[in-house]
Amino acid sequence: MEARFRNCEEVQQELMDWLAGELPETDKQTMAAHLAQCPSCQHELDSLQQLWTNMGALPVPAPSEELRPNFYAMLADFKAEEQRRQRWSVQGLLQRLREWWQPAFAQRLAYGAVLLLVGLGIGYGLKGREMGAGADESLAQAAPSAPAEATARQVGLISRLNNPSAVQRLQAVSDAQEVAPTNERVLAALFSTLNQDPNVNVRLATLDALAGLADDPTVRLGLVRSLAYQESPLVQSALADLMVQLQERRSVRPLRKLLQQDNLNEQVKNKIEQSIQSLSHERAPAAPPTSSNSYETLPDNPGTLDTSVAT
Amino acid sequence: MLQVKAGQVEKMGLLFERYHRPLLAFFYHSTSNATASEDLVQTVFYRMLKYRHTFSGEGEFRTWMYHLARNVLADTARKNKPSAHHQDIANWAEKIAGGASADAHLQRTQEMAQLHQAMARLSPDQREVLVLSRFQELKYEQIAQLLNTTVGAVKVRAHRALCQLKDIYLQLDNGSKVQKL
Repeated sequence: MEARFRNCEEVQQELMDWLAGELPETDKQTMAAHLAQCPSCQHELDSLQQLWTNMGALPVPAPSEELRPNFYAMLADFKAEEQRRQRWSVQGLLQRLREWWQPAFAQRLAYGAVLLLVGLGIGYGLKGREMGAGADESLAQAAPSAPAEATARQVGLISRLNNPSAVQRLQAVSDAQEVAPTNERVLAALFSTLNQDPNVNVRLATLDALAGLADDPTVRLGLVRSLAYQESPLVQSALADLMVQLQERRSVRPLRKLLQQDNLNEQVKNKIEQSIQSLSHERAPAAPPTSSNSYETLPDNPGTLDTSVAT
Repeated sequence: MLQVKAGQVEKMGLLFERYHRPLLAFFYHSTSNATASEDLVQTVFYRMLKYRHTFSGEGEFRTWMYHLARNVLADTARKNKPSAHHQDIANWAEKIAGGASADAHLQRTQEMAQLHQAMARLSPDQREVLVLSRFQELKYEQIAQLLNTTVGAVKVRAHRALCQLKDIYLQLDNGSKVQKL
């Protein structure tokens, strides 16, 4: 048997393994065989085994109630101190970066970056498209306050031209002269007043205002056409005078039409006839300024040709 | 512990919950002073935090932990006179011995007290190897690593320490019986 060749010293060394439970199974068997033949070793093992077991039963006082709180207080203190100390050290910064840089976070960051890029791309795309239109717009809007003010004034003017009070309408017409209404809407409103306003005075005032703008071909044409709408003798004669003054030969036909009206005022009839005569014969013979002075005296001209024109 | 080393200091709580009792036992068996042992446990955990960068992660954590614990113990042993411990354990033993009766429980307690006292009388080296193998249940290989020696040497030392303990224990036992008589 192998056990016979083992000496007691060897066994004693393995005794500690035996006690600690670290002895492999095969060694246990050979040792048991030796112990069976060696009472002294057996005795030693028994006594040591008992001691070993007793040691295991030695009581250890339970940790006091302060131990755990003390530990966690220490841990908290340590963390606080550590953070203070490491905040600005290179190692601390690297460490915090490492803590901060977690895979999940990287994913989120990448996602965020992609979203940001998409957003920027869309933003640039929209901005680029707006730049073309926006340039004109910005030019148009460069001086926005003055036209806006003027527009507001014009709108106010137009509404006042439709005011029930004749005084208000007169005021509006005189204001329109000051504003120098090149605006189409104001001009349209003025012509509408000239052709349809129930008050003769308002229409006369409007005619004065529009006469000042007669350089504008549109205004001129409007005045010519206006002849057909006028029923008041005063306005009719004033318009006829104006046509002569402007040497507007396009007005001959509407003037002739006026002559065909049944209820035409006699004086006006004369006046119109003179005007037609003047327009037909004075083919730019005199400058308008001189004629403007002379047209007051037109009725003094001989009316012999009137009939020939009329016929 | 590797997590603690990587900066997750709060993971230290886990280690505390797992190891504060074994550490307390280690210090208590070594010093026989419950109050001082608790302070030492605290010190070990503090040093774990402070020296966490020294944990390589290669060896087992417990080996590293006891390495720190031994150093803590050595530091306090240098500061304090060992006689104080003996005083402490002697008082305890006397207290129990004084109230001794035929009661089996008390007898058992007395035996334990004697064993404890015997432990205290071992040389620190001998006591240490026994504490580590018996109470902390470290394998001889780990103890060898910890004490920077061979497994065989650890076993021999442990065996001798155990025999020594037996002798002291028997002496105390005889002494107490003589006292009683």
